[in-house]
Amino acid sequence: MKKVLLIAAAALGCTVIGAQAGDFSKAKIDVIVKATTSQYWGTVFDGARQAAKDLGLSIATLGAPSELDVAQEVQILENATAAKPTGIVIAATNAQALAQPVDAATKAGIPVVVIDSDANTKNYVTFLATNNETGGQKAAIEMARCIKARTGGDTGKVAYLTALAGAQSLNDRDKGFVEQLKSYPGLSIVEHRVGNNEASRALSDSEDLLTAHPDLVGIFADNELEGDGAGTAVSEKGLGSKVCLVAFDTSDQEIKFVRSGIIDALIVQNPYMMGYAGVWYALAAAHGVVFPKYVDTGVSVVTKDNIDSPQMGGLLDPKKYVLSPFLGAQ
Amino acid sequence: MGEGTLSKAQEPAVRVSMFEGLRHRLPLETYVLALTVLVWILLAVFSQYFWTTGNITDILRQVSIDAILAFGSLFPIVLAGIDLSVGSVAGLAGVIFSMLIADAGQGILVALVVTVVAGLIIGMVNGWASERLGIPPFIVTLAGLQGYRGLALLLSGGLTIAGMPPGLQKFALSSVLHVPSLFLLMLAFGLAAHFLLAYTRTGRYMYAIGSNIESARRVGIRVTLVVIISYALASLYATISGLLLVARLSMGAPTAATGSELAAIAAAVVGGASLFGGRGTILGCFIGALLFTTIGNGANLLGVNSFWQMVIEGLLIAFVVYFDNLQKRRQAGLG
Repeated sequence: MKKVLLIAAAALGCTVIGAQAGDFSKAKIDVIVKATTSQYWGTVFDGARQAAKDLGLSIATLGAPSELDVAQEVQILENATAAKPTGIVIAATNAQALAQPVDAATKAGIPVVVIDSDANTKNYVTFLATNNETGGQKAAIEMARCIKARTGGDTGKVAYLTALAGAQSLNDRDKGFVEQLKSYPGLSIVEHRVGNNEASRALSDSEDLLTAHPDLVGIFADNELEGDGAGTAVSEKGLGSKVCLVAFDTSDQEIKFVRSGIIDALIVQNPYMMGYAGVWYALAAAHGVVFPKYVDTGVSVVTKDNIDSPQMGGLLDPKKYVLSPFLGAQ
Repeated sequence: MGEGTLSKAQEPAVRVSMFEGLRHRLPLETYVLALTVLVWILLAVFSQYFWTTGNITDILRQVSIDAILAFGSLFPIVLAGIDLSVGSVAGLAGVIFSMLIADAGQGILVALVVTVVAGLIIGMVNGWASERLGIPPFIVTLAGLQGYRGLALLLSGGLTIAGMPPGLQKFALSSVLHVPSLFLLMLAFGLAAHFLLAYTRTGRYMYAIGSNIESARRVGIRVTLVVIISYALASLYATISGLLLVARLSMGAPTAATGSELAAIAAAVVGGASLFGGRGTILGCFIGALLFTTIGNGANLLGVNSFWQMVIEGLLIAFVVYFDNLQKRRQAGLG
């Protein structure tokens, strides 16, 4: 028994020493996100950096400043492919536009791990993402719960805000929300506005919605900038206790709004894990490890009641993220 | 070739007859104001919520920041120049201001002064480069559009900056005698700009340079100085609107005011400014901005599809400019 333990310890010691010696120190993974301008993608980078540190490899954090700039992302991916890194981790801003460049990278022998938003091809290692439709469904469930708690009933008018036209992940969220809301026949969607991923536009749109429908009981904002804008409108009009606001993602402003009761529920993804696992997967794939085509990173619901709990802490602030074992149960 | 020009010259005379009723040429602002009033009446008829205190207050707040940006962009337009960097400057100003407060722990006053000085310097560089280095202002400020946005993203690490003092947002929401403070501020900046353009020598020089830069030079106008002043003013007004955006949202966002340079220029043009210079008024800018804000508000109130809204705005710009050109050609024809 003692001998076995000793061998195990020696084996463990070996791997640790191996890592220190820098087996992967020559490995370089390019992490390409949709926009370098949001906290969300910053968190993806945080996770990727942690993985790089843990694995002793180097990464490059790349992306266009704006999610609107599909062409620039294509260019970044093409340039990355030309430089032949060990692996590429990429979030596709547009499924169609990124399909061919992802294909090309794979054909060039570079393992590509797609995170967050899919590309319209199957030539990649795996797709590591939030199930956005599930996220949208959870938003509808939270909204119904909030409306029930507020009004005691389950009837009323609801509106939803899309941050940007043509983004697959947003479309999926909206679809999940709209479909799930149908299971509450008393709740009807009266408005849908599409913004330009800018908080001040979301603010104006939300103000006008609240004016046009004084009896509105719920708003769903499908990303953080929409959440910032809608939250500002609801708080300006003093409707925090009347309108149930459910938003996606976590900005500092959104977290403040949850604490002050303006936002009732945040649907939170796990971008840290997308970045962290993305780098691990890309490296493993470069060494022949096979992955399932799709891995769900899960969504959580943050409310005023659980916002200070330790398991939400890491989702809201990547600096507090504690990597803990995955035991197979979701 | 000669025939082609001839038939083109005859064209307006035929078209004009359609507008026989509008014999006397009124400033374009008048028509755009009439159109805006018409849109207001239609919205008041079709939406019971349009003509309510709350909604009018919202519109006044919404138009304020856009109008200030439009006022600023009018100065270079009058000079037959253009400033494409105003949206990026607004974003950068917001980032500098909010970072000075949230990260550097500075007071509002210090942050305000530093940001305004930064804005003025940017504008002076724009003016100097387009006048002295002979680079067309379109290119200089296109570089600025990209560069200053990049700087805003770089400084902030691409993230929004929260942690503004609550007083700032309180101010943005406050009203004096039921008129939003933001709107009053916009009026003050509008009046100042109007006074400068209409009643000072510098203002008249701007129109003179825009009409004919060579003759302006010959009569001894210090062209470089006037150009630098007007681009500095464009940047100053952009900086102010960036600061107000921060106050309004209680956060600095490096992406704030993205694309708003085009909205500002559209407001000026719809309000009667000519991109060929020498023409344009602050009142026109205000009416133009008000029309666009009204359309946005109306589209939201009536639940008009967001994409149709963009199409309508595009058609509006095309129609107003076409109508204006028609009038000018007719006037030239009547000589």
